[in-house]
Amino acid sequence: MARVGVLRFPGTNCDRDVFEAIGHAGAEAIWLWHADLFDAKAFDALVLPGGFSYGDYLRSGALAARAVAMKSVREAADRGTPILGICNGFQILCESGLLPGALTRNAGLRFRDQWVELEKVGSQSPFGARLSSGARLRVPIAHADGRYMVNDETLKALQDGQQIWLRYTENPNGSRHAIAGVTNRKGNVAGLMPHPERAFHAWMGGEDGRKILDLWD
Amino acid sequence: MGQTERLDEEFAAKLKRYRLNRDEHKRICGLIGREPQGVEWALFSALWSEHCSYKSSRVHLKNLYNTSPRVLQAFGENAGVVDLGDGERVAFKIESHNHPSYIEPYQGAATGVGGILRDIFTMGARPIASANYLCFGRPEAERMEKLVDGVVRGIGGYGNAVGVPTVTGQTEFHESYDRNILVNAMAVGLFRPGEKVFLSKAKGPGNLVVYAGAKTGRDGVHGASMASESFGKDSAAKRPTVQIGDPFFEKLLIESCLEVMAEDLVVAIQDMGAAGLTSSSFEMASKGGVGFVMHLDRVPLRDSTLTPEDILLSESQERMLMVVEPSKLQRVQEVFARWGLEAVAIGEVIPDRKMKLYWHGQLLTEIDPDLLTEHAPKYERPFEVWSPRSRVPQAQVAVPIEASIAERELERVLTSPQGCSREFIYRQYDAHVGAATVADCEDSVGVLRLKDSGRGLGVVLGCRPQVMRQDARDGGFDAIAYPALELAAKGFEPLAVTDCLNFGNPERVEVMSSFVAALDGMNELCRILETPIISGNVSFYNETEGRNITSTPSTGLVGLRPDVLKVPKSAFSSSGREVFLLRLPQLMSGGAYRELRGQEPACAGQLAARPFAGFLRALTQVARDEKVLATRVVGKFGLAYALAKMVSRSRVGVRIGRGGFEAARHTLAAGALFHEVFYEVILETSASPSEFRSLVMRQLAAHSPVDLFEMVHLGKTEGSALLIEGLLNVEAHKLEAWSQAGWTNAFENLKLPQSYGEA
Repeated sequence: MARVGVLRFPGTNCDRDVFEAIGHAGAEAIWLWHADLFDAKAFDALVLPGGFSYGDYLRSGALAARAVAMKSVREAADRGTPILGICNGFQILCESGLLPGALTRNAGLRFRDQWVELEKVGSQSPFGARLSSGARLRVPIAHADGRYMVNDETLKALQDGQQIWLRYTENPNGSRHAIAGVTNRKGNVAGLMPHPERAFHAWMGGEDGRKILDLWD
Repeated sequence: MGQTERLDEEFAAKLKRYRLNRDEHKRICGLIGREPQGVEWALFSALWSEHCSYKSSRVHLKNLYNTSPRVLQAFGENAGVVDLGDGERVAFKIESHNHPSYIEPYQGAATGVGGILRDIFTMGARPIASANYLCFGRPEAERMEKLVDGVVRGIGGYGNAVGVPTVTGQTEFHESYDRNILVNAMAVGLFRPGEKVFLSKAKGPGNLVVYAGAKTGRDGVHGASMASESFGKDSAAKRPTVQIGDPFFEKLLIESCLEVMAEDLVVAIQDMGAAGLTSSSFEMASKGGVGFVMHLDRVPLRDSTLTPEDILLSESQERMLMVVEPSKLQRVQEVFARWGLEAVAIGEVIPDRKMKLYWHGQLLTEIDPDLLTEHAPKYERPFEVWSPRSRVPQAQVAVPIEASIAERELERVLTSPQGCSREFIYRQYDAHVGAATVADCEDSVGVLRLKDSGRGLGVVLGCRPQVMRQDARDGGFDAIAYPALELAAKGFEPLAVTDCLNFGNPERVEVMSSFVAALDGMNELCRILETPIISGNVSFYNETEGRNITSTPSTGLVGLRPDVLKVPKSAFSSSGREVFLLRLPQLMSGGAYRELRGQEPACAGQLAARPFAGFLRALTQVARDEKVLATRVVGKFGLAYALAKMVSRSRVGVRIGRGGFEAARHTLAAGALFHEVFYEVILETSASPSEFRSLVMRQLAAHSPVDLFEMVHLGKTEGSALLIEGLLNVEAHKLEAWSQAGWTNAFENLKLPQSYGEA
């Protein structure tokens, strides 16, 4: 069974939700603690769940990006381990430089919780690899700092490098190019603002999240 | 001025400062056998405040119906606990944070959420849901836009960060709240099978008194007594008495507390809420029949200049007081340290019933805790016996209007502050963290899935201030009946109630009379439904410059359902389905529409608990049938409004013929679109009319006398408009646009655009 490390920082609050979703997706979830280094070779994938690590103080994800465990995350990224950042996890990956761009305060300057429709664009990510390009997914968002920003040059590079992974069909937060998720150049590191773990069962209102956390069935 | 006069003036100033009156001072002297000294003034001030002592309400609260086989814990602990069976239990409570929220809306509302969450996890339950009951003044009232914005941001800012989903809410607008808004926060926590319930009763002389969490600062000093006073012109000057919250700290406190409880390292635990360290320590000792030695100089401080009195009264947030066996202290400290928090022993439990408070080795006071907690004064405030109000002949209840203006009037209703969309509010709350949310604020009941059993837990709020203005006893009854019906309409059996009794100045006869009447209405129905009231609080003195709020006994109910797979929606699901109205007509009211038109309240008939209970039980069973697709209780603004809501959200239309409307309203007059009948429910079903009739009749026959009910076949879902033949024909998108416009007309700066371009 695949071993998936789930990283917890002080203030992470989607940790248990993600932990369970990974179980439902057929893998073994294993806790990783922010203050401890871990063996980067020991995991088939890593997930950084959402929440408010360090209370979002300074900037969302900025303090977590400098936590001890991130050294091991970086090592795993270099080894090509699939790594997924969800919401605050995405912010942490951007702050740590493992993903390009920055997540800033939503246009409208308010927290926003709603179901959104996503369109898959790039095909590099090992997460959701079975989805064809142009596939549509319904998944909830819940964030105040989800406006993805890049400069023109980086946007062009992302487009050329197939790094734009997911886009909103209706832009809820003013993200550049309506981007909801990106990957790194190699494709093994991916981040998205929506919460796939909140769309895992019919009773939640949809199961499309399974198509993103699909590495292990 | 002579010396006696001067002394008397000083004495009067002292009484004023500590918000005690002369009789209370006399009572204190009688109890301790001497004049109070030093910090004792502060202790009595805090614990004998209305907020902590319930001195005006105790004599009435003791009559509340608060037991049932499911109740594991009622009043007297931090929250009530109900047994769901299968090893699952829930703790829940609602509490007011009105005064602080009016003074400083963001922090007032945020710490309201933080405080109620602590009441839940202090018992060992993980918080799984939040809900908010809000009453604001007219949008044009002074500061109102800022108050709405601040309160909503505060609730979101705290609840979202701490990771507890906000699954339901209720927001009211009325001029009586112009200068005194209401912010009531409810929280629900879950004990999974095998998890233990922790109480606040201190035990075991020699055990340590341990302070954990955030350091103590100057914020909230005298907060409890501030909340027990009416507002004057100087409310802005009270800002320093408002607490400041930090949801990040709270999150760490939740995890560390639940961890020490899971390891069974704690004997007793209570959060430091109103009146901070004073109330938590005195109550814990008093309940356990023991005493504490406490060294106030060992309390971790944010500000080294705090005096012992400040430390005792500070309402700094995110703090807990625990009783821990000495051998377990080290492990407790390790757990807290792992989460970056401090846990410090500040004293110990002693066998005599004495609170011995020290400051750098000097004894400040030695006092029996019961004198402050159990011997607070109890007032029997004068009140008048209730008699029914606002009664008129039935024919005069509805507002007569011409059919030609029906559409315009529906627009007026949907664009009014009371009728418009609340989407701006709930979009800013995380409703899905926890990955257990089945239905959120878009539905009339918040629904969570219980992980271990797969059953559904329904959470809903109640109290319609407009009904309270019409008749307080009916309003109290309705504060239970309406939310119970909302639960039943989704297939949930109501289990128990928490209440937050927001009233004006209890020293006024009319306020106290409505308090007694409302409580009586609530209590009567709870007893018949066997749905006990197990927790809550009382907020008096919601009065500003002599004006009292509408008496507002808000409620929170939880209900249980065997599954979560086919919970009926609150909007129509698809075209070609049959639409029925199930009714138990007891009281007919001009309701919110009369009020919108500026007319006096008017109603006819009376509410009766027994037939209601039968109706409720039958409806619960009907709503569990998988052929019931959508349900909605008909409430404010009557039938037209309820149907408009069911159409606008899903864009699935409905056609109601003349026959259907007449059967439902016994008239074809346009005014009948908007009057309210207590109680009615609209149901959409995939069954055929005859199939549905027999399903309903079977349930009704099993639960109550059938002849009290009416079942009306209203019509069918079709197209995309709300069509009531001869009266209304409005497209769904137009209804939605009206509903949204109502909000933006009221608050032009509070916007949340649907989407932004490509950017």
